[in-house]
Amino acid sequence: MSKYAQVFSIGWSSGFVYRLNFLMWRVRNVVQFLTIYLLWAAILRHNPSPAGYSASELLTYILLASLIRAVVFSSRSLEVQADIGQGNLNHYLIKPISYFGYWFSRDMADKLLNLGFAVVEFGLLFFFLKPPLVLPPSAFYAFAFGGALILATLLYFFFSLIVSATVFWIPEGSGWPQRFLIFVLMDFFAGGMFPLDMLPAPLYQFALKLPFAYMLSVPLQIYLGRLSLTATVAGLIIMFGWLFALMFLAHFAFRRGLRVYGAFGH
Amino acid sequence: MPIINVDHLIKYYQVHEKEPGLKGSFQSLFHRQYKQVKAVDDISFIIDQGELVGFIGPNGAGKTTTLKCLSGLLYPTGGAVEVLGFNPWRRQPEFQKQFALVMGQKNQLWWDLPALETFNLNKEIYEIPDKQYRQTLNQLVELLDVKDILKIQVRKLSLGQRMKCELIAALLHNPKVLFLDEPTIGLDVIMQKVMRDFIKAYNREYKSTIILTSHYMDDVKELCQRIIIIDNGKVMFDGLLQEVINQYARNKILTVTFAKPVLKTDLKPIGVVKDWQYPQAKILVPRSEAKDRAIKLMQSFPIDDINIEEPPIEAIIREVFSKNE
Repeated sequence: MSKYAQVFSIGWSSGFVYRLNFLMWRVRNVVQFLTIYLLWAAILRHNPSPAGYSASELLTYILLASLIRAVVFSSRSLEVQADIGQGNLNHYLIKPISYFGYWFSRDMADKLLNLGFAVVEFGLLFFFLKPPLVLPPSAFYAFAFGGALILATLLYFFFSLIVSATVFWIPEGSGWPQRFLIFVLMDFFAGGMFPLDMLPAPLYQFALKLPFAYMLSVPLQIYLGRLSLTATVAGLIIMFGWLFALMFLAHFAFRRGLRVYGAFGH
Repeated sequence: MPIINVDHLIKYYQVHEKEPGLKGSFQSLFHRQYKQVKAVDDISFIIDQGELVGFIGPNGAGKTTTLKCLSGLLYPTGGAVEVLGFNPWRRQPEFQKQFALVMGQKNQLWWDLPALETFNLNKEIYEIPDKQYRQTLNQLVELLDVKDILKIQVRKLSLGQRMKCELIAALLHNPKVLFLDEPTIGLDVIMQKVMRDFIKAYNREYKSTIILTSHYMDDVKELCQRIIIIDNGKVMFDGLLQEVINQYARNKILTVTFAKPVLKTDLKPIGVVKDWQYPQAKILVPRSEAKDRAIKLMQSFPIDDINIEEPPIEAIIREVFSKNE
């Protein structure tokens, strides 16, 4: 276990090396948040209750969505695809360490770093913007939300590995073409811009059939108490189901992929 | 005891071919032509404990591919590979803790952090006990003389310094089997020599089994008794370095310094004059008659000094490859 702790710690220290990059990355997060926030603030002035959301619910959604992105979607393991494309996978494959475990530790280090800063930034934004926030309606929803966040993080991790694994077969551009396409779709269907239940019913139903809704939208709806008790439990069960499916797929893809892996790059 | 056993190893790749230019790119969108590359094509050899074997061959001969199969990085198309009794492809931790692969053109060191951070990480990954780790690290640091650079960001190190640290990172767990792929590439002659001396000492001290690939024949000449020559994915020669010289070197070289001027054409009966810069000449003579020709030379010309030498190993290896064509 200590090997993964060491990966976590070294990943953490390398995160701090480029101070300017670090700063710009943080500023980008704030700007990204402000864009969506100000857009919604403008809409709410004309329509105070779109699609059955109160202003405070909606702004809470937007604020939390940004915070959750910082946890669930932030990831070092994007580099896996470059590792495969450029042959750097070699370094890990010859060592007694689990490749998934390695990247999970690095992701965790990254997420913790991200979360730490995000909390401070959102604290400041909160102080200046003073949005009306709501809390979960009961302790049950708060706990369910916590559990959903952990599951969402794992869902995203394995999904991202599967996207990276496509580089074994489609090495062009180190996997960026397919990742861009998939991630644009993912962001939309996860509900990062607006709550998914604002979509027309058929599209919303379709979105719930994909794993992405469970990475952001569903946990947030649990937080806001917009799902009934049974729907919340059902949501968590579906997340477990997706988790096992994606985990299996990721392992399968790597097992198959390594057979065609060329270990190139020299 | 055989440590490495390679039995009819085959590794083929599929690559797609594209005509140059925009037209070719467009065509390859719809219709792709695949070609099979036989990177390793039925190779067999056995290596015993403590051997230091040189892998020689031109670029693309299949050396690195073979090493990658031995490391468990590549899934063989056919044949069997066994290292330390393990099938490398299974990538069992018990196996991985006993070998290391060093690639001169790929670094495992964390670029933005001091090398010491990577060492500490490897200590945990290989589960090296504290005491053994400190001992090995001190020893390696001393042998390679890198004490002063351990806390400097890797990206700020010179290539030579980095390569030394790469070696340390790979050797911390005292591997019994070591694959060195071009460990001296890009290094200056002094640093090459340092590396060579180190590899030699390491092999002697730890009784480790080493396979080395290199384009520098000096590496091979100084380090390896046995060489395996590979070309087009096949083994051309496997045996002692001396044997390849005996087998393929048709000539020896007489290096002569004349005491008085002589005519170049007069030297024709002795052999082929390769190099003529009065007072010195290099004359190629048939290997078996080298001694007789030297005597004849001394009897018929005013000689100051004479030397009988083997041709450079590069020339001999070229000879092996040209026989293959």
